[in-house]
Amino acid sequence: MDNIAGTKSSLVWAVNIAVVVLVLLWTIPTFGLLVSSFRDRDQIATTGWWSSLFPHEASLRFRIGDAETQRQEGEVFVIDGSVFEAGGTVSAFGTSNRDPAAHEPGEVVDFGDGISGTVNEDGSYRVTSPVAFEGRSPRLFVTSVTPPRFTLENYDRVLFAQGLGRAFLNTMTVTIPATVIPILVAAFAAYALAWMEFPGRSLLIASVVGLLVVPLQLALIPLLQLHNAIGIGKDYLGIWLAHSAFGLPLAIYLLRNYMVGLPREIIESARVDGATDFQIFLKIILPLSFPALASFAIFQFLWTWNDLLIATVFLGNTQDQLVMTGVLRELLGSRGGDWEILAASAFVSISVPLVVFFAMQKYLVRGLLAGSVK
Amino acid sequence: MTSRFLAARFLATAAAALLSGAAAAQDLKFPPGEDSRFNWDSYESFKRDLSGQSLKIDGPWGGVDKALFETVVAYFEAATGADVEFSGGDGFEQRVMIDVEAGSPPGIAVVPQPGLAQELARRGKLAPLPASAADWLRENYAAGESWVDLGTYAGADGAEALYGFVYKVDVKSLVWYSPENFEDMGYEVPETMEELKALTEQIAEDGETPWCIGLGSGPATGWPATDWVEDMMLRVNTPEDYDAWTRNELAFDDPKVIAAIEEFGWFARNDDFVSGGASAVGSTDFRDSPKGLFTSPAQCFMHHQASFIPSFFPEGTVVGEDVDFFYFPASAEKDLGKPVLGAGTLFVITKDSPVAQAFLEFLQTPIAHEIWMAQTGFLTPHKGVNTEVYGDPTLKKMGDILLQADTFRFDGSDLMPGAIGAGAFWTAMVDYVGGKDAATVAGDVQRTWNTLK
Amino acid sequence: MDQLFMAGGTVVIGVFGCVAYFFLSNMILDAVWPPRGPDAGRNILRAAMIRPWLFLFPAIALLAVYLVYPVFVSIWLSLHDNTGQRFVGADNYLWLLNDRKFQESIRNNFLWLLVVPGGATFFGLIAAALTDRIRWGNFAKAMIFMPMAISFIGASVIWKFIYDYRGEGRTEIGLLNAVVEAFGGTAQTWLTLEPWNNFFLMAVLIWIQTGFAMVILSAALRGIPEETIEAAILDGASPFQIFLKIKVPQIWGTIAVVWTTITILVLKVFDIVLAMTNGQWGTQVLANMMFDWMFRGNDSGRASAIALVIMLLVTPIMIWNIRNAHKEMR
Repeated sequence: MDNIAGTKSSLVWAVNIAVVVLVLLWTIPTFGLLVSSFRDRDQIATTGWWSSLFPHEASLRFRIGDAETQRQEGEVFVIDGSVFEAGGTVSAFGTSNRDPAAHEPGEVVDFGDGISGTVNEDGSYRVTSPVAFEGRSPRLFVTSVTPPRFTLENYDRVLFAQGLGRAFLNTMTVTIPATVIPILVAAFAAYALAWMEFPGRSLLIASVVGLLVVPLQLALIPLLQLHNAIGIGKDYLGIWLAHSAFGLPLAIYLLRNYMVGLPREIIESARVDGATDFQIFLKIILPLSFPALASFAIFQFLWTWNDLLIATVFLGNTQDQLVMTGVLRELLGSRGGDWEILAASAFVSISVPLVVFFAMQKYLVRGLLAGSVK
Repeated sequence: MTSRFLAARFLATAAAALLSGAAAAQDLKFPPGEDSRFNWDSYESFKRDLSGQSLKIDGPWGGVDKALFETVVAYFEAATGADVEFSGGDGFEQRVMIDVEAGSPPGIAVVPQPGLAQELARRGKLAPLPASAADWLRENYAAGESWVDLGTYAGADGAEALYGFVYKVDVKSLVWYSPENFEDMGYEVPETMEELKALTEQIAEDGETPWCIGLGSGPATGWPATDWVEDMMLRVNTPEDYDAWTRNELAFDDPKVIAAIEEFGWFARNDDFVSGGASAVGSTDFRDSPKGLFTSPAQCFMHHQASFIPSFFPEGTVVGEDVDFFYFPASAEKDLGKPVLGAGTLFVITKDSPVAQAFLEFLQTPIAHEIWMAQTGFLTPHKGVNTEVYGDPTLKKMGDILLQADTFRFDGSDLMPGAIGAGAFWTAMVDYVGGKDAATVAGDVQRTWNTLK
Repeated sequence: MDQLFMAGGTVVIGVFGCVAYFFLSNMILDAVWPPRGPDAGRNILRAAMIRPWLFLFPAIALLAVYLVYPVFVSIWLSLHDNTGQRFVGADNYLWLLNDRKFQESIRNNFLWLLVVPGGATFFGLIAAALTDRIRWGNFAKAMIFMPMAISFIGASVIWKFIYDYRGEGRTEIGLLNAVVEAFGGTAQTWLTLEPWNNFFLMAVLIWIQTGFAMVILSAALRGIPEETIEAAILDGASPFQIFLKIKVPQIWGTIAVVWTTITILVLKVFDIVLAMTNGQWGTQVLANMMFDWMFRGNDSGRASAIALVIMLLVTPIMIWNIRNAHKEMR
């Protein structure tokens, strides 16, 4: 397309760099969550996620093995072991909170009450006492450099959570009809609003925009009342209808806008050829609107997938109706403080929408054909 | 663990989920009649036939608490043949309001805020409990009358009746500390409020930081400070003043209340007294805050929080060894006894049925309390239970604080209307630790409260 | 498993039902007023009056029940007390006018409306334009789109790790403070820093919504007829000129749609504010205030009044859209 080769290559560079910067800005926050999902709760709460990528210095508090692990060596009782589970290097240690880095590794230190011991550079410790250890065993304070340490435990807990498989099916049961139905209904309505002449058309368009803003939270009680009154109760039919209706205004709005932009000549020549509106819609509009349909499908899928509020209201909390977001919330603990679980579950639940996005992406390109049809 | 193993397990679980629709009937945790510490007579004598009937219970408990409560429910099911489904979890307050208003209520709701139960009663959505339940509470719960009061509200017709039955109590007047850190520095556990303040100053003088305080809680930011203020209310004012305050008969900006807020401010608004400085208090997450007790070197020496907090301690922390708690002491100068602040859950009947009534009757049996006591995280004011069954010494120690209390008062913010107790009060606390004047923030709360009348 | 069949069945029945409805109703219409024979002219006119409504009927029915009906319920509730039983006239609205949190919310909402739709549309347009020109564009798109796929609660935790503040002498776990400290600054409690904290919350929504803008705008950009661009290239226009003078004007309608959609979303957004600050430190917005009164205050009257204010704010956008629709028809 471009003829001037020199400016072209520099432009390509600039574009590439700009996109790299944009992508970095947009992914760094998520990347932090991804890293956090492989860390345990205590790590998340005490150090930044970026520091876990490199060996870093940390101060640990450690209680030596309890009295049951002691053994007698001649006159003295000994407890030994290592302060590390997975390796590291001790740079200093102490026996009291007052001065946690008082001693060099290898130095033999008096713990009080005749107990003495030492910590070596590799983290191994040995504490001896002239009398048998009893009750609470002494503490060690260790300053050490530990290598990066990651765990799969969070994913283990999320993926094998009780009822997650079932909840996955439930969520699919909710999302698939709730994505397909509104698209179809909206496509017809959007066509009428874009290409058919009738009184009150612009008023209807404006109402659709107005309905976009209706806050769902207020609709919940009257609608559940309605569902209960007509006998739907809390069941899948109710949530399909609710999700479809809540998604409709945006669907109509986006699709109408797209359809209005389609070349007028195609539609008019079809009309001249004697095609009915129904035929025009099915054979011309629908195929040409694929990019818009696909993009709305992605969004509607995302909302129904990530929704918790509508599901808790219109579906029950029982095993055969609980959706994935509901199960994940249960995992967060009664006060929602388990961020490591939240991080892992965010990546488990993001995987399906991303697959949908990649699957739909090729349809987004069809717009190119739309332009070249005429 | 290799990823292959993960995948295999995932498939296995998915397959299992597909094959077995419902979980097998739950086994009873402690076989009836075996452990003599339990009151099995009460279980046997409760037995009746309700087979074929079903009951739905909704409540705030998810995760561990849900599983624990289900072990109790299993005994009811075994004793009656009824089918009980507990569908608890987060977001209960919204769910129950929507369900009740829309006409699809559960049979029983487990409400953590008496204010919410009161609202439901006022709208005529609750079934009153039989008069015998009130008598039973008076006789069998320690400080029975106060529990009756807690569950008694005006109904839609304005007539007062008992609607709520308290089951499961938490103690809030606790200060958590590391005994070894105290030993290292030669500190003693304070017995009075004056000693606590002296200790706070002492720690600051030693160049250390006495307190970890964090009010952050996402959507509920500010609540930890309400517990502080309520504890202070009970330590500078009489219990009667406290009751009047929760009903707004004592204005929120009354000097007595402002004094309590300022007592909290003495601790929280001093840069030398709180870890991270006073400016960090408002935004520090309450779940992260206690972790300062366990760092090396310790970022703080004390943390005021309710009995649930050990679940946010670092993994492997042993309560009673690595960390312990003492009673948030009362003032020696004022003659107010030993007040204890607590919370609990109220069982209310949202859809009346024989099986719902039977379930509340079941909660009166000692065995319904002992099953949960023998596990974890459960305290009860029931005098007829055997305290020997407490699952761990920590619970027993908390139970002792509860029993030694001269006054027990329920968490005030849960008694107030939602717009105050879960709204204006929180905002006021956040503003106060942010540097606003106590009288100003208290005035703000009172203004909001005025618009509710 | 039968459940999935049920869902599949519903999709099939739903799709089939919809198509059958449209097909049959159109057929019946054509049978009643056939577009041929002696009355052909009149019949075509009459059928043309009915047909749009056949196309619109399912959508209108769903919208009427699930969105219009609740609006009327809200109007009714906003004139009643907290239990919805006693008529209180305009009390709820009077209360609103005097409420300081409401004034704060209105101010913040206007800030949000100024910053977020513009920001998200701008970044979305840039992302769409740039990623279409490079080989790894699809991957880049997926990365920028990713925040959209994360639930709001996940997003709030992600940003907690950005804005977190630990206090002096403690290791910061928030990225922003770590960066500030690395450059020699002092850590800040970003979320309590009035009035800037509002902008930190807005950043979260821009971060999320850019993916939405990008997807829609990218589809529009690709729909631009090649000829116009080729003509411009032949005229020697630079890529910037092509973008600004040829492409942007052609997708102006879509830009407006994206901007409108995000504007309306901003009016409704409460998850971010609720999860990160709950409206403390001067960050309250209308939607969160409504949520608060609905579910914490249990006062459907006040919540409805706030909801109606939110709906009122959308009127200028509606009027603007009516104008646009008129223009398109010409």
